[in-house]
Amino acid sequence: MNWKIWSLKKSPWVFHVNVGACNNCDIEIVNLLTPKFDVERFGIKLVGSPRHADALLVTGVGTRQAVPRLKEVYRQTAKSCVVFLVGACPCGTGIFRDGYHVEGPVDKIIREEDPNAIIAYVPGCPPKPEAIISGVVKALSAL
Amino acid sequence: MNQEELNNKLSEIKDKLIAVEQPAESRIYLSCEAENSYEINKFLFEDVGCRFVTVTGIDSDDCFEILYHYSYDETGCVITLKAFIRDREKPAIESITPLLPAAEWIEREIHDILGIDIKNHPNLKRLILADDWPEGVYPLRKDSP
Repeated sequence: MNWKIWSLKKSPWVFHVNVGACNNCDIEIVNLLTPKFDVERFGIKLVGSPRHADALLVTGVGTRQAVPRLKEVYRQTAKSCVVFLVGACPCGTGIFRDGYHVEGPVDKIIREEDPNAIIAYVPGCPPKPEAIISGVVKALSAL
Repeated sequence: MNQEELNNKLSEIKDKLIAVEQPAESRIYLSCEAENSYEINKFLFEDVGCRFVTVTGIDSDDCFEILYHYSYDETGCVITLKAFIRDREKPAIESITPLLPAAEWIEREIHDILGIDIKNHPNLKRLILADDWPEGVYPLRKDSP
């Protein structure tokens, strides 16, 4: 196994990016860190800067105002990184499809920046914390 | 003031209103032209003593409607003042922010997304649209693509 992929899978540090979410998915992500789910036992840790992160947890539909900022955050993340799209909105714009402020879906925005980006989808409105953990495990075992 | 006294108090401004509807005991709709809206708002807030709730902007087919929502907490009566703006080319209405500072942001939002000029607003800057949003495009108008 490539040592970069090994180190990525060993303990993925994640940076949380909100690009126009309603806050529901963000609450579920915070819920992952509570003692009940406690993802730090798997080495998954929220960090305060994309430069420290191995993965981006993106919530929200990808609004016009947020698109350049999301691209900047993606550029600053150490490669190789995994982008997790948490919720129905980043996966396919959900109920905000055709809204005047919507530039998403987020996978399209990330692919514009890097066509070879590793993107994992966790749909749901919001996805349960178990579903997010399951998505992270499936994505990391597919690498 | 009980509900009956409130109804009598509201009849003091009858000549400035187009219509008064009361579909339920505690729900009153007042309609007026945009030119009279400031005076009626001032009357509702200062003379009647209503609590300002919020403002709504609607693009009806032939006019714009600005809905000022008030609550009269002593009886729990909700009063909505509908102001009609007939001019679709240059829609404008008097700001109530000098009277009610709480209305500042909602009036800026209405200005952003419906393109209604809020006259005498102290700080009419862009609030919610993106920084690169083109001037003169109003997303919640009926004729917007």
